[in-house]
Amino acid sequence: MTRKLHSVIAASVFALFATVGTAEAATTVKFWHTFSKTNGEALNKIIASFEAAHPDIDVEPEFVGNYNDLVAKLQAAIPARRAPDAVILEITRYGLFANNNILTDLTPYVDADPLKDDLYDFAREIGVINGKNYVVPFNSSTPVLYLNKDIFARAGLSVDTPLKTYDDILKAAKTIQEKLGAEGISGIGAPGQFARWGLVMANDSELINPKTNEILLDKPNTIEAYQWMGSLVNEYKVASPDGVTDEDKGNAAFMAGKVGMDMDSTGSYGGRRKALGDNLVVRPMPCNKVCSVPIGGAGIGIMASSPKEVQDAAYKFVSYAASPEANAAWFAATGYLPINKKSAALPVAVKALESQPGIDVAINSLPYAHGRARSTFVTWMRTNEYKVWQSIALGQRKADEALKDFAEQTRKESQRAGN
Amino acid sequence: MLRKLTPYFFVAPLMIFIAVFTYVPILTSLNLSLRQWNFLTPDMPFVGLRNYEELFASADFWNSLWVTTLFAVFSVPLRLGAALAIASWLVRETLPARLLRGALFLPSVTSTVSIAVVFSWVFSTDYGMVNAVLATLGLGRPQWLQDPHLALWVLILVNTWKQIGYDIVIYIAGLQAIPQELYDAAAVDGGRRFHVFRRVTMPLVMPTTYFLLVISVIEAFQVFTIVNVMTRGGPAGATDMLVNLLYEIGFELFDIGRGSALAVILFVLLVALAILKSRIIGRKVHYEA
Repeated sequence: MTRKLHSVIAASVFALFATVGTAEAATTVKFWHTFSKTNGEALNKIIASFEAAHPDIDVEPEFVGNYNDLVAKLQAAIPARRAPDAVILEITRYGLFANNNILTDLTPYVDADPLKDDLYDFAREIGVINGKNYVVPFNSSTPVLYLNKDIFARAGLSVDTPLKTYDDILKAAKTIQEKLGAEGISGIGAPGQFARWGLVMANDSELINPKTNEILLDKPNTIEAYQWMGSLVNEYKVASPDGVTDEDKGNAAFMAGKVGMDMDSTGSYGGRRKALGDNLVVRPMPCNKVCSVPIGGAGIGIMASSPKEVQDAAYKFVSYAASPEANAAWFAATGYLPINKKSAALPVAVKALESQPGIDVAINSLPYAHGRARSTFVTWMRTNEYKVWQSIALGQRKADEALKDFAEQTRKESQRAGN
Repeated sequence: MLRKLTPYFFVAPLMIFIAVFTYVPILTSLNLSLRQWNFLTPDMPFVGLRNYEELFASADFWNSLWVTTLFAVFSVPLRLGAALAIASWLVRETLPARLLRGALFLPSVTSTVSIAVVFSWVFSTDYGMVNAVLATLGLGRPQWLQDPHLALWVLILVNTWKQIGYDIVIYIAGLQAIPQELYDAAAVDGGRRFHVFRRVTMPLVMPTTYFLLVISVIEAFQVFTIVNVMTRGGPAGATDMLVNLLYEIGFELFDIGRGSALAVILFVLLVALAILKSRIIGRKVHYEA
C-alpha cells in the first residue's frame, strides 16, 4: 500500500513538473488591440482557437481603447520598454512606427507564407510602405450608409429611396427631420472622420493623394464636400451637433433608434445589427460625382524590440488571424470585409451572407475602394482635422477659408516631417 | 561628525523621493524642451529655443493660454465663494448639516472620468437631460458643448461641482477654529450678521482662503480630464486648455520637445502666479486671532 502510495505521489510530482515545464516553454505574445463589445468577443474567440491549435503560444490580448488611444499608449510604452509584442495599427497611422524602425519588417515572413497568395490585393497593399510589409491586414473596412428601416417607414420613405447623391441624402434627411424631428429623431448622423473621407472621395477628390502625398485639402471638390457636410448640421439642421464634437455620441444615437441614416465603417455592422435587429438596412455610400470609397481598418504589426522567438510566435498568430477560418468568423461576427479570398466560401461566411442582410454591401463596393495615404504627417493631419471639421460644421468658419488654412499648415507639417 | 549627519539621514528618504518624482522630471522636461524628439527614436537633437519659438508663434498656444486664464478667473472665485457660503451654513453640528457635508464631498472622491462622461450626456444637445427639461418648458435646446460661448461655462460648472466638496470641508475646519468668544464679543457690541461675517469671519478664515486659492488656481491651470473627456478641447478649440494642448502636442502629434516646452512654460507661469499671490494676498493673511 505504502509502495503504491509512493508511486502515485512520484507520478503526480513528475506530472506537476512536466506541466510546469510545458507552461514555462509556452511563448507569450502580448497583443494590444482596439476591439470591445461585439468585436472584442469575436477577437477573443479567434485567439482561443489559435491557442487551441498552438498550445506552445499564449496570446495575451489587451484592449487599450480606440485607434488614437492605442497610438498614444504605444508611443509612451516604447521608451519605457513596456511595449507589447504585437499591435493593431490603423492603416493610415502606422507609417510613423514603420519609418522609425519600431515595427519589424514582415516581408520575409509574408514572402514565406502561403497566406500571401490568399489575401486580396486591396488588403495586402495596405500593409506595405516603400516596398516593405509592416502590417498584415486584419480588419479591413469601407464606410457604408446605414438606415433605420422603422424611421424611414414612419417618415413615409422607402428604404429603396434613391440615396446616390448628396441631394438625395439631404432630401431624405429633411423628410425625416420634418416628420419626426418633434420626437427627437434626427434625419442623419453627423459624418465621422472615416465617413467624411468617403464623402470627399465620392465628390471626386481626396484629402491627400495616396501615391504622391500631394495635399488636396483645399481642392474645390474637397471644399464643396465639407461645405455640404457642414450644412447638414448648421444650415439644414438635419444632423445633431452632438455627433460633431463626439463621434461616439452620434453612433450611440443611431443605435438607440434616434437617427434615420448614418455613415460609418462596415466594421460597426455587428454592433448595429445587435442594436437594431431587422430594422438595420445597409446601403452603399453615395456616389456624388464618382463612386469611390476609402479602405479603412487596421492590420497587425510586430514590434522590432521583441525577441526573435516571440516575433516568430507573433507572426504565427498574425498569419492565423488572416487565415480563411479566422477571417470568415471575424467577417460573420463583425461585418468587416473578408480579406482572404477563401473566407467567403466557408460555411460560417456563407451563412452570414444569407442571414445578415446588408453585410455584403461593403464587399460589393470593393471594385471602387481605394487605399489612403499613410505617410508620417497623416497622423498630424487626422488629429487636426477634427478641429477644422468642428469649426465648419458648427458654423464658426467657412469651409473654403478653414480648409485653405488647414492645407497650408499640413504642407508645412509635411515639410517638417520630411515627406 | 555622525551626530551632525544624523538629521540628514532622517530626511534623506523623503528628499530622495521628492528628487526622483519631482525635481528629476522637471529637469528632464527642461532638457527635452530644448530637443526634438518623438518618443520613438534614440536621437534627440538639440534645437535650442526653437520649440519655445514655435509655441509662441502658434495661435493654438495663445488660444489655450487665454481659455485657461478665463477658466481660472471664473472658476476659482465661483468655487471659493460658493464653498465659503455653503460652509458657513453647514458649520453647525446638526445631523442634516453633517449628512449634507458628506453628500457634497462625494463628487470629490468620485472618478473624474465617470463624472465627465455622465455630464457630457447630461449636457448633450439632443439627448441630454438639461435640454429635455428646457425643451419641455419651451426654452429651446442650447448647444451646451457645441457652442464655443457655452462650452467653457459648462466645464466651469462641472469642475466646480466636482471640487466644491473639498473646499467646503476645508472651510468648515477653518470656520470651526475661530474662537466663539469673538462672535460673542461682536454680539455684545451689537454687530450685525453681515458685519460680523466681514469683520470677524472673513479675516480669520483668510489663511484657509489663501490655501484654497493657491490650490484651486494650480488645479484650474492643470485641468485636463474633464476637458479631454467632455470636449477634447472643442468645439474648434474653445475649451482647449493648456494641459489638453500639451497632451495633444505630446501624445497625439508626437512632438515631445514642444510638449515639454509647454510644460516648462506652465511651470514658470504657476510659480509666477504663486509669487504674485504671495505678494498681493499673503500680507493680508493673519494666522492668529
